[in-house]
Amino acid sequence: MEEIKKFIPTEKITLFRSCLVSAEYPGVEASTKYVFDKLGVEYVIDRNQSCCTGLGHYYDIFDELSTTALAARNFSYAIKNNHKQYVPMCATCYAILKTSAKNLNEKEDVREKINKAFRENGLEEFQYTKGDIDPTNDITHVVDVLYYLKDKIPEHKQRDISGLNIATHHGCHYCKVHYDDTLCGYRNPEVIDKICEVMDSPALKWYDQKPRHCGGGFRQRYANRDLSLDATVDKFLSLHREKIDVLLVMCPNCQVQFDRYQYVLEEKTGDKHYYAVLNIAQLVALYMGADSYKVLGIQTHTVNLEPLLDKLAIEYNPKGDTLHVTEE
Amino acid sequence: MTKLNRREMAEKTEKDLAHKVLDDIKAPKDLGLLRCVQCGLCTSVCPASRHSEYDAREIIKRVLDNDETIIEDEVIWNCFYCYTCHSVCPVGNSVCHVNQILREMAIQKDVGKKQIESFMSFADSYLEEGLGVIPQEYQGQLKIDYGKHWENLQENLQEVREDLGLDSMYLLPEAKETVDKTLEAIGFKKRVQEIKDVRNRK
Repeated sequence: MEEIKKFIPTEKITLFRSCLVSAEYPGVEASTKYVFDKLGVEYVIDRNQSCCTGLGHYYDIFDELSTTALAARNFSYAIKNNHKQYVPMCATCYAILKTSAKNLNEKEDVREKINKAFRENGLEEFQYTKGDIDPTNDITHVVDVLYYLKDKIPEHKQRDISGLNIATHHGCHYCKVHYDDTLCGYRNPEVIDKICEVMDSPALKWYDQKPRHCGGGFRQRYANRDLSLDATVDKFLSLHREKIDVLLVMCPNCQVQFDRYQYVLEEKTGDKHYYAVLNIAQLVALYMGADSYKVLGIQTHTVNLEPLLDKLAIEYNPKGDTLHVTEE
Repeated sequence: MTKLNRREMAEKTEKDLAHKVLDDIKAPKDLGLLRCVQCGLCTSVCPASRHSEYDAREIIKRVLDNDETIIEDEVIWNCFYCYTCHSVCPVGNSVCHVNQILREMAIQKDVGKKQIESFMSFADSYLEEGLGVIPQEYQGQLKIDYGKHWENLQENLQEVREDLGLDSMYLLPEAKETVDKTLEAIGFKKRVQEIKDVRNRK
């Protein structure tokens, strides 16, 4: 195992909820919980926690001060609950929280402005003291925890998932924003690959465009749809050339881009090839025997997962999916 | 005495664009903007530079040339905020950060507010629920792109979550209240109103 230079928690964790996971791929949350429970990770979920603002922040709707103030509010709950290890499921939450903690620690004027606003409005309990949260050691992504505990994963093996052709796509806001804190490289990111290796299902060592962006681009997906999809096509065609079975992601925003837009991209490029898009926590849960509908939540995916389950000879009850309707 | 006069003069002189960027709340303390040597590594890895008129290196050149017209130039709205440029820069500069600051400068004027007003339902949802949602204004296109399955998911989300054994995705009522108070206290509500005012003036 490569030397890990940051603290990775296995207890006192607040699993930080993501708005995109909650509404688009809730199975990512259920799978993370399933895997954490198997691995003996101690965590809580706190309904006092607000969204990190990330999407709004990068739509330029939220200003830096507001985002940072909301982070201070969230940090105060995690500290009060004695679960101050924030572990997000989304790359954007991860980077936003780290940036906010850095702002609060390093920029005295910002910290004071926010604390003053809290004091003057009856919100004293949210005040932040320098050093309350260490951006490197108190904020880690779910993949960091899975990587740290990866040698325990095979102890819970229930299914053989070897023989899949897997490509990994690492979230930019995990790898590239606070790159000194990224495990297993950020120019050729490999943290998900290392987790695949212990499940005897190694990912492609390299493919063209591997470290490139998904194309979502926050506002671009909506306000500049063609530009966004043009950028996605670069990677999409490369994945087709590799004839992959699964694209593994670690961020719900990337998952939206490659799953929700798969048929749009096929039409745009005229290039067809089936592949499933899964979060790494979903794949680990599948390996550990989790139910495809009750834990992985594959019914929320645009691209059906059933062909992949067939390939792996994993049984399922198709009645678990009431969301996909067959065209009449 | 001479010294004091010079200082007074310096205080009166407006800062150039690069220093305004460096002084912004969004600028990391160690941002290497002034160390840029125009090597172009940023442009070579940038999705917006590959697929549009945007050119990451050019953005920095114009900032260093004190070309304030860049604030009103639509091209700054093409950055994907992917931070790829930021992660490869040999001198610790970050076009991605600089772009965020330029957009914020544009938002201080009407020109930037017009660029983001179509995303305002995100702010409304956050103020109401403490949660982000996909902006309402784009739901129509998404329904076409994502298909009927996605509409079924939206309609049955709560049930799907229950089947997965998940708790409500919404904040506790008292938590919503303190989110609302926090956003009032920090000036976010005022910002939202100012952006909406520009929309309503159209």
